[in-house]
Formats: sequence, C-alpha cells, structure tokens
Amino acid sequence: MDFEVTYTEEQQQFRREVRAWLETNVPADVQRTPTSPEDNYQRYLELRAFGRKLGAKGWLYPTAPAKYGGGGLDVDYAIILEEEVDRLDLSLPPYYDSGGRLGSASILVWGTEEQRQAFLPAIYHGEVRTWQLLTEPGAGSDLAGVRTTTAVRDGDEYVIKGQKIFVGSDNGADRIWLIACTAPNGRRHENLSWFMIDANLPGISMQPMELMGTGGEGGTDSGVKQTVFFDDVRVPAFALVGGENKGWTVATTHLELEHGGGGRIGRNRVWDRLLRYCQETKRDGVPLTQQPDVRDSLADIYIKTEITRLFGLRNFYLTYARKAKSYEGPQLSYYRKTAGLWMTGAILEMVGPAALTTDPTWGSSAGFLETQQRNGIVSVHPGGTTDIQRVQMARRIGIGRSTREKAGTVHGAEA
Amino acid sequence: MDLALTESQELLRSTARSFMEREAPVDVIVGLQKVESSLAPDLWKKAAQLGWLGIVVPTEYGGSGDQLSDAAVLYEEIGRGPLPGPFFSSGVLGALTVLEGATEEQRRRILPRVASGERVLTVAITEPNTSWGPTGVTLAPQGRNGSYVLNGTKLFVADATSATDLVVAVRTGDGPTDVSLLHVDARARGVTARRLPGFVSWQCEVTFDNVEVPATALLGGAQRGWAALDRALERALPLLCAYIVGGCQAVYEKSVAYAQSRVQFGVPIGRFQRVQDHVIRLVNHLDSARWATWEALWKLDTGRPAAASVHMAKAVASEAYPEACNAAHEVHAGMGVLVEYGLAAHTQMSRTLFNYLGDPRWHKRRMADALEW
Repeated sequence: MDFEVTYTEEQQQFRREVRAWLETNVPADVQRTPTSPEDNYQRYLELRAFGRKLGAKGWLYPTAPAKYGGGGLDVDYAIILEEEVDRLDLSLPPYYDSGGRLGSASILVWGTEEQRQAFLPAIYHGEVRTWQLLTEPGAGSDLAGVRTTTAVRDGDEYVIKGQKIFVGSDNGADRIWLIACTAPNGRRHENLSWFMIDANLPGISMQPMELMGTGGEGGTDSGVKQTVFFDDVRVPAFALVGGENKGWTVATTHLELEHGGGGRIGRNRVWDRLLRYCQETKRDGVPLTQQPDVRDSLADIYIKTEITRLFGLRNFYLTYARKAKSYEGPQLSYYRKTAGLWMTGAILEMVGPAALTTDPTWGSSAGFLETQQRNGIVSVHPGGTTDIQRVQMARRIGIGRSTREKAGTVHGAEA
Repeated sequence: MDLALTESQELLRSTARSFMEREAPVDVIVGLQKVESSLAPDLWKKAAQLGWLGIVVPTEYGGSGDQLSDAAVLYEEIGRGPLPGPFFSSGVLGALTVLEGATEEQRRRILPRVASGERVLTVAITEPNTSWGPTGVTLAPQGRNGSYVLNGTKLFVADATSATDLVVAVRTGDGPTDVSLLHVDARARGVTARRLPGFVSWQCEVTFDNVEVPATALLGGAQRGWAALDRALERALPLLCAYIVGGCQAVYEKSVAYAQSRVQFGVPIGRFQRVQDHVIRLVNHLDSARWATWEALWKLDTGRPAAASVHMAKAVASEAYPEACNAAHEVHAGMGVLVEYGLAAHTQMSRTLFNYLGDPRWHKRRMADALEW
C-alpha cells in the first residue's frame, strides 16, 4: 500500500508553476471574514473573478475533460492544485459551487453530447455559479418523493411549477438544476426528471432562509439558504438531461458524490486552528495543551479527525483508481457528521464558554470555535441526514433489502 | 497512491485463509479455549513449515524478513479465528525484542530457533499494580557470583504457559528507563507460569523464586533494555492491531450473515433499522481500526516517523474490537453467547487485547507526546 501520491519531477515543476501563479493571482486578503453584507458580496465577486482566472487555465475543474473546457489533467496534477490552493485556506472552486461540481458529473455521465457542449464549458470556465435544487417542503430525506415541483411538457418546452427549499447560499446563482415530478401517477423512481436551467428565467423568485449556522456539503460559508419559487417557468426541452422520467437515475451520480463517495484528501482546518488555540490559551496560568484533561480530549478529537481523513483518503483512492464502491461513501458522510456533532460537546467541555462567543477579545480567533459549535449541528443534515446515510450503508452491506444495492456510478463505469 | 494489496499479499492472504479454514475452524478455536497452553503442537508445526513464525525475522537469522505490511496480511487472517497461540508473542514481539536488544551472537543463537518454532518466546514487562511504561518495571535482580538472581512476579505475560524462553524486563538502575532485558529459560527451576483464570485469554502470571541466570543472559547491554523494547513495540504493535482487525472482520461477517438469514416477525432481522445500526456501528469500528493500522504499517515500511500513528492504531484497534463484539452480540442476541458458536472467543479476546501492551488511554497519551503538542 502507498498512502501518498508520489510526484515525478515534471509534477514537482507543475507545483512550482502553480505556486508562483497563485502568488500573483490570489486576490489580496480574500480569505478574510466579511465585516458586512456589502463586504461579503465584494469578497464573493473577488472570488468569482479569481475563479474565472483559474477556469481560463483549466484549473478550476482540473480533471474535467478538456474538450468541454475542463483542465483534462491527471488526478495527480489535480491533487497538486488542490494542495496548493489549500495552503492558502482556499478550495477548488474557491466559492460555493457544489451545483457545478455535482451537476457537471451527472451531465457527463447522463447528458447527450450536445448537452455536454452546451452546459459544461461555462461551469468549467467559472463563467457561471450553479446551485442544486433537491429538497422540497414535503420531500427531504425521501427525495424520491418529490411531488411539489412539477414539470409538464408543452410543445418544445416544459412548464415548471412548485417550490424548492434549502437551496444554495447567498449572492445568487447563474444556473440551477433540479429534479421535478413529470409523472404524478408514475411509479416511484420512474416519475422524476432532471433539468439544467438558467437561474434568471421569468417566473423564478427566491427568498432567503436564515439558518442557525452554515455547513452545507459543498462548504458554503454562509448562514443563508434560499427558498426558490417556480411560477409557470417555461424551459426548453433541451434542459432535460437523461430523458423524461429518468431523473432518479441521473441523480444517483451526484447523490453518490454528495454522500462522500468521491472522498477527500487534505488537512482538517478546524483541527489546525483548535490545536493552535489550545497552545496559545492559558487556564490558571498553564497552556491548555499542558492540562492533562485537555490533552486527553485533544487526543480523542484528533483521532476522530484522523479517521475522517483516512476514510476520505480511502474513498478518494477508490474513485481515483475507478474501483467499485459499496458502503464507503455514506460511511464517510455518516462518520464525518457524527464526529462533528460529538466534537461540539468535546470542545465546549474542553475550552468552556469562550467556544460560544465571537467576541474578538474573549472568543477564539475570528470566532472559529463559535462557528464549529453551530456547524457541528447544522451540517448533520444537508446532503442526506446521518439516518439516511445509515439506510444507504445497510442496503449496500446487503441487509437493508432482499438484494444488495450498488453504489451510484461516478464515472459511468467502475471496475 | 495505492491502497490495494499487492499480488503477493493477495496470494499470502488466500494461502493463510485456506490454512485457517482447514486447520482452525470454529470447533478447533472453541476447543482450544479451555486449554492451559495456547499452543496446539500440530498446528504450530504446520505454521512453522509455512514460515509464519519467522515472517518478521531477517533472512540472516533464519526468517523470511518480510515487510511488516506483508506480515499484517497474515496476522489479519490469524486474527479472524481468533487463533490463539504465541504467534504474536513469540514470532513478533519476542523476535523483534531480541533483534533490537540482543548482541549479534545472541541473535544468531536465538532467532533461527524462534523462526523454526523450536523455541517459543514471550516478553514479560508489567507487574502487579504497575503500568506498561518503563516505571512499571520494578523487578530488580540481585547479583550473585556474576550471575543474576530473580525473585518476584511478572503479570499479564501473554502465552507464558507455552513459552520455552522468557525475555524479562528488569530494573537495573534508578533512572526511569534504567531497564535491562534478561533471557530466562521458562523451564528453569523456580520459574512458574500460570494462566490467569476468567474472562481473559492466555494472560499469565510468571513468578520467579530464586531463579539464577548467568551473566550471559543479559540481552545486549545493561540499561539498554527499554529503548530496545520501545523500538520493538513500535514495529510489533501494528501487527497486534492487524490481528485485531482480522477479529473485527470475522465478527462483522458473522453479523451480516446472521442478519441476512435469521428470520423474526416474518423477515430477516437485517431489515430492522435497529439491527442495521448495530452492524453499521460494527463496520465503522472495523474500518477505523483497519485504516489506522495500515497507515502505521505503511509509515514503518517506508521509514517514515511512525510513533504517533502506531500509538493511534493501538488505541483505535483496542477500542474497536470490544465495541465490534458488543455490536455483534446485539445482532445475535442469545445465539451469540453460545460458546460453540464462536463469537464468545472473540469477545473474550477483545477484552484481553484492550489492555495488553497498553490500553487506549495510555496509547493516546503517548500519541499526544509523540505529536509534541
């Protein structure tokens, strides 16, 4: 076994090139915590501009096929890019674009050649930011039970009506995709369709939902989600991906990714900051890291973050080597979420009420601990609750149903 | 990056698995549970012929000198039993302690016979009311005519009732790590090994009553024992973890099969989410132990600093095995506590290995030290 990617001299040269490029192109102070809604929007614009620069080089979606505007790079190069961006406390894409990441994966597997050419380049170049619309007031965990949002064929168009909730973040989107019911009397899993559409069509309106904290699967750092209303929105039939009533099949690809199937490599930023905080903060004149009870708690927290990292690495490898997966995707999601929630208690006990305040003097740096206290709870539910992850695991282990369920396809064909 | 086994590891796995299925099926494992000595002579000989006893012993000392990750594949298979016997205590911890601590002459004398299975080693470290650290070693030999005389007790010595040779950690100075290692004939006059009774698997008490050993019994140099033991443990512990991973894997497979086949209320019990939760808890512990162990093995085999990973692996695996067994008992209910079913052997082993060579908290604290927080 080899737990590390080993790099050739050519790849190391690429790393130097990336590092130098980032030094001149990352906007100054773009990692700041916004001080006002205006500053939040300003920062978003800076990140989008940076995203377009990355996109022009094929570095926004480095492994996406070059013929559709992606980087066409081997995964080893993508890892270098991710590592170099991560060093600067940024991600790829540098803003919340999980709709682009997940939606493009589904289009690659299930879209027609024409649809790939029409939809993918704008995503990969960073020209559009995309949100996914899945949950409805009456369909959350039971996503296949989507009924509120319907699409009816009318000539060369579909007419969409209904409502989606827990959508996106703040600062708006350019594109959205959704699953809508196209056969109200059809069989479960055979009655939904998947559409990629313009976010600014007539009849689409949005209303912010204020949340207790952030914590979307795609790493949104905003405490806002949207309710999206569709009032007889007319979309071209071309927007239908995968065929009418085939929406659930299209969704299995992005759901597998959203449930952790793609894995992750990279450091845990909360851990780094937590350790630094405990080294720099004293209790009764002694640094927290030298207090035996704190060391014990830190060890438990560290181990949870390490196991999360190892599960992420394993899933990354399985995807990277195009190996068949079973329960590993939802296992990562379940473990990460339950560990995060458990950590809120462990950190609160270890650090005390300083973990709860954003006060610049008495709280942690930029309130990162306060953020964790909120996020640990909020992130348990998006992208499939921990209970849903367990249902998935059981089916794939082969005990939840009479036949063992397979993991959704990420590439179109796994070994 | 490659997280798959190599071809030769796959081959070793299938050889070991068919050996285990043939030679150590459930009834054999269950039958061994009540025996005073964990070593089944027939099985031991066959394992020796397969090279299992010298798998980490370098070739110049009669072993096959495999990488630790190769040996881990074997130990996972042994752990699936869980096959008792001094495979780990002699073939890994004993052999590596001699390798790290002994003089060249002593290595040449001892290791080939360990690799062949002719001699069976075990290492005696902790004592009544002491820890697994160097300060836990208080047994101090008296000098007499250039030899050492031992009086006292070592506790929780694995497989001592089947050992022919003991490596005994003794205190020879006032500094915390002033520990030396003595090579003692387990059959010498005054040495008594007794398997501790109860819910514990082949952990023994060893008493020394005026046991005289010659000066040549000192392995390596005086006061160098703890450092040698520390180095040996760093490499040995991940193989104990691999044994635990094998145990967790077996318990997992048993639970899945049972959840699929046991029908209650008209359906296989795996259809119930409460039962699914037990299986999921189990597989999460299994995979935590597996990947923590394999990363530690990879670091050791590639010469990376590994202390923190090794301590983490032992902490995680020690916790995982009892939790995995608990979850399996929830799935199996009454069936699981029938001794002949075989789960109970894992349950008892999981409790035994929880503390053996340091419990989770002890290893977490060593991990924190290694990470220099």
